[in-house]
Amino acid sequence: MTFGDPFFGYSWLDAIIRVVIVVLVMTVFVMYWTYGERKLVARMQMRLGPMRTGPYGLLQAIADSLKLIAKEDIRPAAADRWVFEFAPYLTFIPVLMVLAVLPFAQDWGVRNLSMGLFYVFAVLGLNIVGIMMAGLGSGNKFALLGGVRAAGQMVSYEIPLVMSLLSVAMIAGTLDLDAIAAMQHYRPFILLQPLAFLIFFTAMLSELHRAPFDIPVAESEISGGYFVEYSGIRWSMFQLTEYASMIAWSVFGSVIFLGGWEYPKGGDWGWGWQLTLTLIKSVVWIAAIIWVRTTVPRLRIDQLMAFCWKVLLPLALVQLLMNGFILVYDWPQELLFVTSGLGAALLVGIIIARAIRRPKKTSGLVGTYRQVQGTPV
Amino acid sequence: MTRWPEPALVSKLEDPSLNTVDMTVNIGPQHPATHGVFRMVLTIDGEMVVDCEPYIGYLHRGLEKLSENNDYRQAMGYWDRTDYLAGMACEAAYCYAVEKISGVTVPERAEYIRVIMAELSRINSHFMFLGAFGADVGSFGTSFVYAWRERERIYDFFEEVAGDRMFPTYIKIGGVAMDLPDNFESRVRWLLGSINQGLEDLDGLLTGNEIFVERCRDLAPMTAERAIALGITGPVLRATGIPWDIRKAEPYGVYDRLKFDIPVGRQGDIFDRFFVRLSEMYQSTRIIEQCLDQMPGGLVLNPDLPKTLRIDNAEAYFRYEGTKGEYGVYAMARGGNKPYRMKLRSPSFCNLSALREMVVGTYVADAIIILGSLDIVLGEVDK
Amino acid sequence: MTQEQTLPYPVGQQVPNASLGAMIQRLLPKVPVEIGETKTDLDVTVAPEHLFALVQGLRDAKDLKFDFLRNITGVDLVESMALKYAFYSFTHGHALQVTVPTEAGHPHVPSLVSLYPAADWHEREAHEMFGFVFDGHPNLKNLLLEEDLHIHPLLKAHPLQKADIKQGIEDSSAGFTF
Repeated sequence: MTFGDPFFGYSWLDAIIRVVIVVLVMTVFVMYWTYGERKLVARMQMRLGPMRTGPYGLLQAIADSLKLIAKEDIRPAAADRWVFEFAPYLTFIPVLMVLAVLPFAQDWGVRNLSMGLFYVFAVLGLNIVGIMMAGLGSGNKFALLGGVRAAGQMVSYEIPLVMSLLSVAMIAGTLDLDAIAAMQHYRPFILLQPLAFLIFFTAMLSELHRAPFDIPVAESEISGGYFVEYSGIRWSMFQLTEYASMIAWSVFGSVIFLGGWEYPKGGDWGWGWQLTLTLIKSVVWIAAIIWVRTTVPRLRIDQLMAFCWKVLLPLALVQLLMNGFILVYDWPQELLFVTSGLGAALLVGIIIARAIRRPKKTSGLVGTYRQVQGTPV
Repeated sequence: MTRWPEPALVSKLEDPSLNTVDMTVNIGPQHPATHGVFRMVLTIDGEMVVDCEPYIGYLHRGLEKLSENNDYRQAMGYWDRTDYLAGMACEAAYCYAVEKISGVTVPERAEYIRVIMAELSRINSHFMFLGAFGADVGSFGTSFVYAWRERERIYDFFEEVAGDRMFPTYIKIGGVAMDLPDNFESRVRWLLGSINQGLEDLDGLLTGNEIFVERCRDLAPMTAERAIALGITGPVLRATGIPWDIRKAEPYGVYDRLKFDIPVGRQGDIFDRFFVRLSEMYQSTRIIEQCLDQMPGGLVLNPDLPKTLRIDNAEAYFRYEGTKGEYGVYAMARGGNKPYRMKLRSPSFCNLSALREMVVGTYVADAIIILGSLDIVLGEVDK
Repeated sequence: MTQEQTLPYPVGQQVPNASLGAMIQRLLPKVPVEIGETKTDLDVTVAPEHLFALVQGLRDAKDLKFDFLRNITGVDLVESMALKYAFYSFTHGHALQVTVPTEAGHPHVPSLVSLYPAADWHEREAHEMFGFVFDGHPNLKNLLLEEDLHIHPLLKAHPLQKADIKQGIEDSSAGFTF
């Protein structure tokens, strides 16, 4: 029996079994990944991290889960009851749905859709509904601010995200995730499309609300944003969503750009090596996210939007256009690397140039940064 | 709490579907960005701050009233709890003020010890600023932990010298409480090396960071004239370009024998304030090194002190370069063993009163880091 | 930055206290003042009705230029109350204290907020702690104390530890009495 055949011959039974396996493995992975993140962050910050619960704090994840489950579920009096209570589930379900199509190894997924790529970002875009519901339903102004910030940010960043995925899909000529992974037998797509990879990674950070784009949940400003009023099991649903979507994005991203289960030697060495590849790639991917998080501060909302619309989107569009020319006229594939590499160099160059820009002279201003019209200052 | 937006508020508008309502957000007194128990009520239009009303007093302990009702030496314990990040500096300011009105002299060695302790406190407090400011801008505590390592070492050192970490009441009227430990000099030199290392780490983490610079630069710039009119002192004033430091302008102690520079900013924006504090820490290490070189021997406490200090009619306004600005102590005596009136002119208090002017017209996220850049200590604001 | 900086302001007090007092009397002849001295600064005593004119003169006269209001301290002298203003000049580097004794039972003083925005919170503090009334202050309400608490804790008549806090479970209603 290969893993592609349905278990027990029944398609529906097979689907249920696979979903249960994926959800269980994912939950355990999330639990231990929170531990891993804390340890990793602690390393980067010259600390030890959790050490008290079990050897090297290994039981910390279990203790945390128990505590969250046992905690009282508080609903504020001002909250809109049903909106407030359903919001965590509505954020979590899209992530769960995405996990159903991700290829963890060849044929190791719940189902492989021929429109997998399209399905993933269509469904992942849905969890904004839950976040908006949480923001509106909490009856809290911080939550409202966080929800609105999240909406603006996620809708904006979806565009460059889709553009960068499209440029890969153009080269692959398919939306089937398994087929895209199999196509990267000799070289991962990051070599052909470094710019698309950079845009994807940036936009993904934004979709995940991870630093430097953690504006919707900014602890130091709006103290948690849309989930500020949640506690106990409902809060842990948000936490679960955050980590599950981090896993989903990392597997998805490594399938698209890093060769998924295929590169290197995945097709030749069997499913054991394929699973190992997926695991290594997604762990490295998540570690990169956390590395960024511990290093950089948070952007402001207008800078965030400006970066999306003025930098990422034009670059993504130009790349899409160049890909079109190269593929339609059948020019050599190295050109893809050259054009995209130049774009990536430009993106990095823009950032470095802005960092070393000399400050402007603004001695004419007194006290205030920008005068709000009609407001006495 | 009623449902938001309140129906009365909505019906006031002619066409609720087109107009927007300004929202009032209450930041504090329990909020991670307010550095203690400070509350500001922001009126915001979307993400823009339209109005800001600061509320203080949550940590008011009646410092002045308590000082009036205690012996000159007893009152000391309340004073190092004002700027609790730099307890030694506050004690020194209080002692200088009492020495001014009483005429008690201080041995030279004690003066040098006071300078070393005050400068270490300044470094300590500025480390706290760098760490907390990084967290305000959003760097997930990395800067905080980096700063904490050096702060712990300084506190350990205080403990070795004085027996307590934060509130040692080590500095006394007429000198300091006890002489230094034997390994003092090597210990301080090691500490200075460690501090310089920590400063370079933080410098590399924050100053070169594109996002950090982008967030801070050109934000809330302030001209020198306006800063003076608003009563702003300390690093925030120096960021506007005026090299005004009481250690140079009206020197006290042995500061006139020490060589150091006053770092200044260019336009008084947030980045300048950050950078002035960072550079000041390097200058403080310079001062401490000179103190170690010049340190004389001898007594550390005036031997002719009376058992109970009684001061006749006298008044003085002693100003001290605290870590946040001009730490002024108004002292008035009218006989007896208690001060008749002690007033603290706290730099955080005066700098904070300019908050509204800086915050209005910026984004909510900016309001947080503007508050952070003032580097307030609520113990000092609320007295 | 290793060599010594040159500072654009004079270090230390430039004008000796005695001649500063004479200078004030010469430049502001219309304001009746008494010149004294504290342990640190020159002390100028002026009646509340002349305070505003004096401070305006101190701020605007070219040789005085006291552009910085450092501090406002209220003092309860039991028989009357007084305010101590501390000024400093960034231009000339000299400092000054202005004492304003007020009549017993009538602690009214003109507000300096229009001259020095820095006076705002200092005056509010003196108002709540002593009960001074600053005529012309735009927003004279409690700053450090609770908004509806109308006591003046720094008066000498106010006891240190006699507050009787009622939690509402006794016979009387919640609150505190002194």
